[in-house]
Amino acid sequence: MITLWYAILAFMLTTYIVLDGRNFGVGILHWIVARNQNERRQVIAAIGPLWSWHEVWLVATGGVMLMAFPRLMSASFSGCYLALFLILWCVLLRGISIEVGGHLSDPLWQEFWDAVFVFSNLLLAVLFGAALGNIARGVPLTSQGTFYLPFFTNFGIRGSVGLLDWYTVPVALFCVLILTAHGANYLAMKTEGAVHERSVRLARRLWLATIPAFVIITVLTWFVRPQLLQGMAVRPVSWLTLVVSAVSIYALVSGLRHERERLALLGSSFLLFGLLMTGAAALFPVVLYSTTDNSLQLTAADCAAPAFSLAIAIAWWIPALILAFAYLYIIQRHYGGKASVSKDSQELY
Amino acid sequence: MQASLTDAALWHRIHFGFTITYHYLFPQLTMGLAWFLVYWKWRALRTGAEKYNRAARFWARIFGLNFAVGVVTGIPMEFQFGTNWAGFSKYSGAVIGQTLAMEGMFAFFLESAFIGAFIWGEKRLGPKGHFLAAVGVATGSWLSGLFILVTNAFMQHPVGYAVAADGTLALSNVGAFLLNPWALVQFAHNQCAALVTGAFVITAMGAFYTLRGVHSEQARVYLNTGTLVGLVASLLVAFPTGDSQAKMVGRYQPVTLASMEGLFHGTRLADVSVIGQPNVSQQRLENPISLPGALSFLAYGTFKSYVRGLDEFSKNDWPDNIELIYYAFHIMITLGTIFILIMAWANWKRWRGRLESSAGLLWILMLAFPFPYIANSLGWMTTELGRQPWLVYGLFRTASGYSQVVSAGDTIFTLIGFVGLYFVLGLLFLYLTGREINKGPDAPYPLAKRQEVAV
Ligand code: HDD
Ligand code: HEM
Ligand code: HEM
Repeated sequence: MITLWYAILAFMLTTYIVLDGRNFGVGILHWIVARNQNERRQVIAAIGPLWSWHEVWLVATGGVMLMAFPRLMSASFSGCYLALFLILWCVLLRGISIEVGGHLSDPLWQEFWDAVFVFSNLLLAVLFGAALGNIARGVPLTSQGTFYLPFFTNFGIRGSVGLLDWYTVPVALFCVLILTAHGANYLAMKTEGAVHERSVRLARRLWLATIPAFVIITVLTWFVRPQLLQGMAVRPVSWLTLVVSAVSIYALVSGLRHERERLALLGSSFLLFGLLMTGAAALFPVVLYSTTDNSLQLTAADCAAPAFSLAIAIAWWIPALILAFAYLYIIQRHYGGKASVSKDSQELY
Repeated sequence: MQASLTDAALWHRIHFGFTITYHYLFPQLTMGLAWFLVYWKWRALRTGAEKYNRAARFWARIFGLNFAVGVVTGIPMEFQFGTNWAGFSKYSGAVIGQTLAMEGMFAFFLESAFIGAFIWGEKRLGPKGHFLAAVGVATGSWLSGLFILVTNAFMQHPVGYAVAADGTLALSNVGAFLLNPWALVQFAHNQCAALVTGAFVITAMGAFYTLRGVHSEQARVYLNTGTLVGLVASLLVAFPTGDSQAKMVGRYQPVTLASMEGLFHGTRLADVSVIGQPNVSQQRLENPISLPGALSFLAYGTFKSYVRGLDEFSKNDWPDNIELIYYAFHIMITLGTIFILIMAWANWKRWRGRLESSAGLLWILMLAFPFPYIANSLGWMTTELGRQPWLVYGLFRTASGYSQVVSAGDTIFTLIGFVGLYFVLGLLFLYLTGREINKGPDAPYPLAKRQEVAV
């Protein structure tokens, strides 16, 4: 049961990153692909009306984490106190910039909210990337199972580490790169005209750039946390997710080659999904590594809620998930196709 | 409690109290407006009268702004359980996490899927689809209210739990947990109170347009629907729901009831003081004007029932801010009574066909809309301060719940951050809402204009 909930939690967090990650990417590309107000409206319209549905994955992940692994939630959230509030403030500012930018007709303020949109998305990609880096590297756990991370210490990767160091910063940058490429795929599919052209071109270049970056990150990870790659080798689930990633790469490449944008987006989504799930499978059963003393690490079983809570929750979680996708299906039926900004569509999207 | 800049527990409490009070300013209107929108869409479907569609369209714009602020201020709430209340999360996460996760999975997915489509997709969805989107949004928002209140009710009156081997809480009876009697009463009272907010805001808009002499057809719709719902909801808030809340508090948290009423010494024939100031250090109520026996009656159903006073409980278990609880509770009740009177008056005038010509009454209705917000915030303050010094009533003290690793300084820092951000957010919200109000229900779609600027 604990394994199942670990898988569900990983699935939900991954889904969040795949879905909202493309919005981060779109945000980062906003100024690059869209050169005038009309194009910028088109970019925002491409995100809507489902961006808040994507964000709910984050909210729901938080709820599920509290329910299934209360100790993990309490240790990690209080330990990353300031970083988490930065994330929350960025989420807040991004939401406002999407919703408010569209209501202002004054070009100056539209410019301002566009900037907020770009920077909050960029910072979110960085912060989530750094968070992943911290999960892989581990945190300075004490014998009470708690920790408190400053932003950075001496950038070392052992002992009393900070949120940012020589390992997590590259991971964060890699995350920005791959999410931007992912966002470019989405824009290529969702837009037309000049924005479309630019996105297609950018997508190809960005994906090329991810290849060397990926190699670097893998090597770094080997130095920082060899357990992760060893875990990958021995755990059959991660072979499966690696196969998913490999197939996705094929889909991505052929999608980019033949300008089949939907295929490319599917490819990049499943590639991210596969990579993150591989990471999660390799991590298990540990949920928090320790940088100070390996015996202090927390495993899923250490953090899990009692069996009865977990069993009950499965009974409602599955139908709830089906319902959530049913809503998505209904809305997608009305909102498929290219986003265009016309008087007929009434408002932003 | 010693208030000092380094008292982490206090700052965590202020942090949570500030952010949640601000958050709740928005959902109360969302939940209050949602069913008005459904009602108007339904009337439009049934009668084909365009004025109902116009009303729904106008209020959907305000709803959308309000909803957006509700969402962005709600997300920090959930994460604060982990960041600021780590002890509490660890202790009770297995129980309260159930409803918080359900809220995300059942309510927020539903709401967020349909909200964009409802506000901007009238043409794409067609009349039936648009009506159904409104139903989806309304259901989602009330479900989120329900789940969060079940969570809160567990903290007020824990049921359906067991204590696990390591001392943390485990769920033992889901049915009992979800059907907590406290939750049902609280839900009824709170949702009626949200409808009061919705009704007063809609009525105020109708009064405003009428006094200005603009949009008279729309103003009439708002006044008619608003005053009718306003009266019914105001009555329901007081009786039976408010009354049942009081009985529930008397039964399960007698020390809270004593604080709410400033009853320092237990007595039969306990009075309700209409006016008075509690003096905690001297343990008496100063300058009271009382209704004899009313408290015994309200709390236990007969005038002769014995009501326990604060002196019968260990000071250790007293809420730590009795004065504030007392004032918060009394102002809520006073406002509730005033709401009933105003709405009764308005309905009487409306029934005689004179509402739109009663300038004095319209002024009152226009200016009354902030007061339901005050009543709602004070009601919550009563509830939450009354629960002190417990985080989970009778089981877990607030002092053990906050994050030990987070210093007071960090908490003050993020609190200041929220105060600043929320201040700007509030200004922006008021500005944008004000603009929609000025444009009025008959304005063309805003995009048309913006494009001319943009191109
Ligand atoms: C428009 C807002 C409004 C109005 C007019 C009233 N209330 Fe209320 N009240 C609330 C809004 C509210 C609330 C904010 O919604 C609370 C906080 C928690 C809850 O469920 O509802 C609440 C809580 C609350 C509690 C619980 C306190 C606790 O748990 O410690 C009681 C006993 C009452 N109310 C009683 C009343 C009575 C007798 C009223 C008579 C008119 C009344 N309320 C009017
Ligand atoms: C929207 C309505 C609500 C308002 C206005 C409100 C208000 C407050 C206030 C003012 C405090 C500080 C009290 C004090 O420290 O003395 C507080 C504390 C708290 N509330 Fe609420 N609350 C609301 C709803 C909720 C809900 C639904 C929950 C649970 C799901 C909740 C959980 C808490 C917690 C965990 C604390 C901190 C611990 C404590 O001080 O007891 N609140 N709230
Ligand atoms: C500790 C308490 C609370 C937490 C953790 C919390 C959490 C949240 C979150 C995460 C959201 C954003 C949802 C989204 O992304 O769509 C939200 C919005 C919302 N919340 Fe809260 N909330 C709390 C208190 C309350 C209370 C007391 C109510 C009502 C009784 C309420 C009703 C709503 C509603 C209706 C929304 C939808 C947005 C809106 O209507 O403005 N919440 N809340």
